[in-house]
Amino acid sequence: MNAQEILHNVKLSGTTQGSLVTVERVSQDAFTLLCNRLSLEFKLPLSLLYATDNRKKGKGFGVHVLFSLDASHEWLLVETSLPEANPTYESLTKTIMEAHWYERYAMDMFGIKAEGHPDPRRLVHHENVPKNTHPLRKDFAWNTKMEHANEPYPMHHIEGEGIFEIPVGPIHAGIIEPGHFRFNVAGERIITLEGKLFFTHKGVEKLMEGKTVEEALPYIERISGDMSASFSLAYALALENLSHTNVPECAQQLRVLVTELERITMHTHDIANMAGMGTGFTVMAAHGFRVKEKMMRLSERVFGNRFWRGYIAPGGVSKSLSVEELRDIQKTTKEVVDEMQDLFELGRHSDGLRERLETTGVLAKDVAVAFGALGLSARGSGVDRDVRRDHPYAAYGEMKPEVLTFEKGDVYARWKLRALEMIESMKLVEAVCSSNNEGATHVEVQAKDGMGIGAVEAWRGETLVAVYVENGRITRCVPRDPSFCNWALFGAIGPGNIIPDFPLCNKSLDLSYSGTDL
Amino acid sequence: MNSILLTLVQFVATLAIAPFVVGLVRLFKARLQGRHGASPFLPYITYATLLKKQMVISKSTSWVFRLVPFVVLASTLFLVCVLPLVVFGGALSHLGHFMIIAGVLALGTAFLVMGGLESASAFGGMGASREMTLASLVEPAMIATFATFAVVTGAFTVDTMFASANILTSPALLPAIAALIMIALAENARYPVDNPATHLELTMVHEAMVLEYSGPYLAMLEYASGLKLTIFSLLVANVLFPMTLAVDATLIAIIMALGWMIIKVVIVSFLLALLESMIAKMRFYRMQEYLTIAFFFALAGLVFALIHITL
Repeated sequence: MNAQEILHNVKLSGTTQGSLVTVERVSQDAFTLLCNRLSLEFKLPLSLLYATDNRKKGKGFGVHVLFSLDASHEWLLVETSLPEANPTYESLTKTIMEAHWYERYAMDMFGIKAEGHPDPRRLVHHENVPKNTHPLRKDFAWNTKMEHANEPYPMHHIEGEGIFEIPVGPIHAGIIEPGHFRFNVAGERIITLEGKLFFTHKGVEKLMEGKTVEEALPYIERISGDMSASFSLAYALALENLSHTNVPECAQQLRVLVTELERITMHTHDIANMAGMGTGFTVMAAHGFRVKEKMMRLSERVFGNRFWRGYIAPGGVSKSLSVEELRDIQKTTKEVVDEMQDLFELGRHSDGLRERLETTGVLAKDVAVAFGALGLSARGSGVDRDVRRDHPYAAYGEMKPEVLTFEKGDVYARWKLRALEMIESMKLVEAVCSSNNEGATHVEVQAKDGMGIGAVEAWRGETLVAVYVENGRITRCVPRDPSFCNWALFGAIGPGNIIPDFPLCNKSLDLSYSGTDL
Repeated sequence: MNSILLTLVQFVATLAIAPFVVGLVRLFKARLQGRHGASPFLPYITYATLLKKQMVISKSTSWVFRLVPFVVLASTLFLVCVLPLVVFGGALSHLGHFMIIAGVLALGTAFLVMGGLESASAFGGMGASREMTLASLVEPAMIATFATFAVVTGAFTVDTMFASANILTSPALLPAIAALIMIALAENARYPVDNPATHLELTMVHEAMVLEYSGPYLAMLEYASGLKLTIFSLLVANVLFPMTLAVDATLIAIIMALGWMIIKVVIVSFLLALLESMIAKMRFYRMQEYLTIAFFFALAGLVFALIHITL
């Protein structure tokens, strides 16, 4: 069923802009009912929920929910306006669990209350943020100095004989970002587990407001260093969608190339990190990280930086690649993928390693669906979703990458999936490198007013950027890293496992702190 | 006079080589994994640096916290004095009754556990609880192993056991030696029981207990664990090659024994590094299976030995 048919069914109409169908101005009361119906009756996955501050235009606050129609390659955006005096609506989370963090985020950042949210605690704001601080409201200056408050920030905890609470972090022993984890354990067995993130809020969303579309690009590229290419592509797609720009074929191909190279780089890292650092099978880590370095140096040779950064831009890509560069890319990547396959085989045949990975951190399919899990974590549990196929962008429409899924949902499934996805990525890289890459690589993007949505299947999962432009300047930009949806998963896969296996479970999800903490 | 000299030689040599053994295992591991690795002499510098550093001690700790490094180090020093590591027939070797050895090892473990619990931090407690789980499984296996040696050789001190002529003649000792190797790995917090190189606090056993220590106390504890690794490396090697130890205090014999000692620790370090590069660490809940296997190996040896002498 496509978007128009669904809307016909619920007796509504929407405006169409490319593959995006928008239902504007749903009334405050009908909004939740409509969303619930779309989710329950039509089984549409909720992809994004965000708020906007439209008070200057006298429209109060906006709440926007984006549903994905995978089969008909469409997006359905449902919008409502809430009055400034009473920005409340009935919580979606009561019915659609995927909305849980988004609504808490909007409560902190905009002061928009989701009535009846089952878990209305603070999310972004820690104890030190005073009450009624809503940084994403337009009347909040980015450089406001806040008082040091001491608001309650309770975390789940249970009591009973032999139950211990283990606080871990926010400072960790490895070189990772800050995050606090609270375990409640009986012996070694985890009973509950919760995270407290958002220690290093950068204010990216706020800082991008008022920037021109070119000025904002570096901000989006630096949200998460391991997803530079994917984020810049999602942003570029959003702007092109907004301004109806058609990007030349050659640039489309090169965009596929860079994002697949990013995927190979990070899958290499994860295969090594999970099997090597997570279980102490150090030979995997030592070799995997060495191999990953080859990819990073390749990026440096071709693009002048180690993170596949600065290449994708709105309107295309920044330069065409010479035959030598393409040959270098193909050769190096082939080497990397082959070496990783050897390492993967080595690991696959190690009984000790298999024993650690199998049956550890099982994510059941219904849990993955309920939490709105994305990317590898979802596909490892049998959720067959991939933006490259479901909402084709760049040259993926013609290339038709194969989407792999596993049913078991354990760490081993997620590990294996990475190794097999690399082979698929290699096929795409070879296809681009051997095709004719001549022609224009860039067209001018005429930034029109309006809103656009860009979706990319980054190596980590579905990455979304929604952008609002007015008079050539950004009024609101919502980058959504897949980790934002996947962070809550570790609370679901941790319990039942033993404490020493938790780092392994966590590594298998490879969640981004920076991408979540905008 | 002779035996005092022998004990002194063993004491000084073992103490001097201990940091080298730690560094050597790390170097071999690095090389086996395709890394360059640091010099095997780095631990000497590390310990010297730690000795110069200031200590940070939590206010919530009691005097026990400060006593722990001394007891742990003293317990290993005792083992260096009484066990046959470089020489046979040292002046103190008569103290090396195998039950005393097991007791002294348990004493060190118990104090280490108390040190882990002292600061009341989550990781220390976690490490302590895991160490006690392991210790309760290691102890019976260790006693059964040495009991097998005792039955076969008719001696009760480790020194005379190893020096006995029929040490390698009884087939009952094969499973006992296998058990000894497995115990040595568990006792020293090596693979597959513990990962000494990890930075993940949640997975640590031995390292979690010493997390709160710093400066000279940390140096003492690290040195003690290096010393213990050296002791067990030599012990395992000496069961198989008792002829490499010095029996009298002539210059030649001592030099030979010292040379053999270096060769033995190099070989054992290499084998340990090879093992640690080949396997993943075991899931913690598999430990009881691993240590039960060790215990049954030891028990099998004991049964064979008992049948052998009664027939």
